[in-house]
Amino acid sequence: MISESVLDKIRNISGEVHTDNSTCQTHGLDWTRFYKPNPSAVVFPRTTQEVGAIVKLANEYNFGLVPSGGRTGLSGGAVAINKELVVSFDKMNKILEFDAVDCSVRVEAGVVTRTLQEYARNKGLYYPVDFASSGSSQLGGNIATNAGGIKVLRYGLTRDWISGLKVVTGRGDILELNHGLIKNATGYDLRHLYIGSEGTLGFVTEASVQLTTDPGSLSVVLLAVPKMTDVVAVLRAFREQTSLTAFEFFSDVALQYVIEHMDLSVPFSKRSDYYVLVECIEDDDAITNVFMDCTDSGWVVDGIVSQSGQQNKDFWRYRENISEAITPFTPYKNDISVRVSKVPEFLAAIQDKVMSQYPDFEIVWFGHIGDGNLHLNILKPISWDLDRFKQRCEKVSESILGVVSSFRGSISAEHGVGLLKRDQLRYTRSEIEIATMQALKKVFDPNDVMNPGKLL
Amino acid sequence: MKVLVTAKRVVDYNVNIRVLNDNSGVDLNNVKMSVNPFDEIAIEEAVRLREADKVEEVIVVSVGASACQEQIRTALALGADRGILVETEEDMQPLAVAKLLNAIVDKEKPELIILGKQAIDGDNSQTGQMLAALAGIAQATFASQIELKDEVATVTREIDGGLETISVKLPAVITTDLRLNEPRYASLPNIMKAKKKPIDIFTPTDLGINVEPRVKTLKVEPPAERQAGIIVETVEELVDKLRNDVKVIP
Ligand SMILES: Cc1cc2nc3c(=O)[nH]c(=O)nc-3n(C[C@H](O)[C@H](O)[C@H](O)COP(=O)(O)OP(=O)(O)OC[C@H]3O[C@@H](n4cnc5c(N)ncnc54)[C@H](O)[C@@H]3O)c2cc1C
Repeated sequence: MISESVLDKIRNISGEVHTDNSTCQTHGLDWTRFYKPNPSAVVFPRTTQEVGAIVKLANEYNFGLVPSGGRTGLSGGAVAINKELVVSFDKMNKILEFDAVDCSVRVEAGVVTRTLQEYARNKGLYYPVDFASSGSSQLGGNIATNAGGIKVLRYGLTRDWISGLKVVTGRGDILELNHGLIKNATGYDLRHLYIGSEGTLGFVTEASVQLTTDPGSLSVVLLAVPKMTDVVAVLRAFREQTSLTAFEFFSDVALQYVIEHMDLSVPFSKRSDYYVLVECIEDDDAITNVFMDCTDSGWVVDGIVSQSGQQNKDFWRYRENISEAITPFTPYKNDISVRVSKVPEFLAAIQDKVMSQYPDFEIVWFGHIGDGNLHLNILKPISWDLDRFKQRCEKVSESILGVVSSFRGSISAEHGVGLLKRDQLRYTRSEIEIATMQALKKVFDPNDVMNPGKLL
Repeated sequence: MKVLVTAKRVVDYNVNIRVLNDNSGVDLNNVKMSVNPFDEIAIEEAVRLREADKVEEVIVVSVGASACQEQIRTALALGADRGILVETEEDMQPLAVAKLLNAIVDKEKPELIILGKQAIDGDNSQTGQMLAALAGIAQATFASQIELKDEVATVTREIDGGLETISVKLPAVITTDLRLNEPRYASLPNIMKAKKKPIDIFTPTDLGINVEPRVKTLKVEPPAERQAGIIVETVEELVDKLRNDVKVIP
């Protein structure tokens, strides 16, 4: 609880403090729907100095801070349920500086991902980190979760594009990390500690982001693949014969939801249990050759190829709109990963567990299979209430996560840990690793004001 | 019955158009090119007519550089039976294209010619009409529905403020509007089959047509840049701006 007099002090630091119910409800919550937001207030700072002063105040008066970006996170990282102060980056959304020689741009943390992508395009360049929530997610949120998305296969994660950070630690100190350098062999790279720290070590307030050249004309191919375990063979064939930029997969259940809820046309006359979306540098001969190899081997039964930029977009919608199409069914999301080579074995093992343990639930599979990353979504039966559903899912998750653990995979490939996955961390990280992480947090945030209760 | 359809090669609809620094035209270097979307609709309509056994053969024509074969191949993958390329490096204008198409019509004698109502690059909306006049046959433009029966096409046209239904005697020229159909996707098995379908190549000289441009482009300019919008904080501020800055309310 933050007292009225402390709220006044916050108001003195930053003009914009909201305590009304509607702002608290929207800004106290991310994309998850399992928590009831209950923040004390929401503040909208405009400078790094203001953020620093707010952190100092939190240390002095002992209240929790929740960093809030575009609130598209899927693990409850930006959720405030314990009367914390939400610190929103909505007003720190300026693009500060562009350098054509460095191919880099310095931005405030609240810049929306899509805004940066479009800015790069207008400079004749390309920012490749992209996913379905790019229209709302912010650079600060992407950095805090080390977001991946649909181009990881070729371009890597957010981490690979950040050449500098300005952060405010949990002590209220301002650190400038790496200054946009490509090379800097001077010891611990604290920048990388902040990337993926989910707001538990401090606030990211500015970032230097590298841009690259546009990949040119791309083709998008949609393939009907009857057997899930053949998906990796198809990946290998395409990787060997084309220049891949993305390789995604989804199930027929997922496709039916997208077609129905997003008003898309039916892509194939005959349905198949699974589908693959391939994006690669345009090369019709190469594509038809791999397709022939894949059909000869019996992995693929049908395929379509985009013939225009519009069709590129339309094909991607089959994959990218899945999350949105199933949102009304309050999906319980498992975002898991293993080494790509282990995927077929892993898929079979998980499929087995799911079939025997969720016979009464509807399961939607999709994922960035080229990165070994699967999204397993369990839909809530309409008649079940939320608590009962969540409890049941958590119970079944135990056994799924057991499989993940035995494959030495990750219980959260790219959605972070936040509140939702905190108690499952031990499936991927050893006890001693977790203890080391806790000790590190103490260095940056001795009084535990930064996103308390999240991640660790 | 034979149908002739067109497949113009244009800058892809999703490309951000950039004007050349010397204002002489649009930058086409490394730019994605596709079939004109209205032509895609024409191709789809012709293929559906063949699938419904109303016509026997669908021939696709493209006029332009050798690279136009890509657009012909797309049309063949979508179901057209054979292709014709009229190959020229000249800057093509509607009248010249109409004359070339007319020469092809003379050769092939199709009963129906379906074109896009316009191409999204020049936005001229002239070729179909000129072709009908040159060939001395009927025309039904901006079609949103086509029915063929006994040498007559009944065509619903999209006109300002409503729909008009007319019937035209075949042979006729029809140009397509957006709502006529939703084109299918090109399947890989069909793309492979399309590789074996024939494409005949002619030059304007072969067809005895002079394609020298009649219209000279003086200057190409991008549209004026729109000013960015602003977000106001309160209703009072909005009213104040509307009254005192934009002056749209008293
Ligand atoms: C439809 C949909 C599709 C998605 N697809 C993908 C995908 O393909 N790949 C992927 O990786 N993710 C995906 N996500 C998850 C999510 O969009 C990303 O994790 C995104 O990067 C989160 O950014 P955000 O600004 O919305 O962060 P928020 O949700 O606001 O916050 C996320 C975390 O970052 C912290 N945080 C936010 N801003 C700051 C800051 N300035 N300083 C410190 N900490 C901060 C928050 O406290 C929280 O812990 C998807 C989400 C949706 C809804």
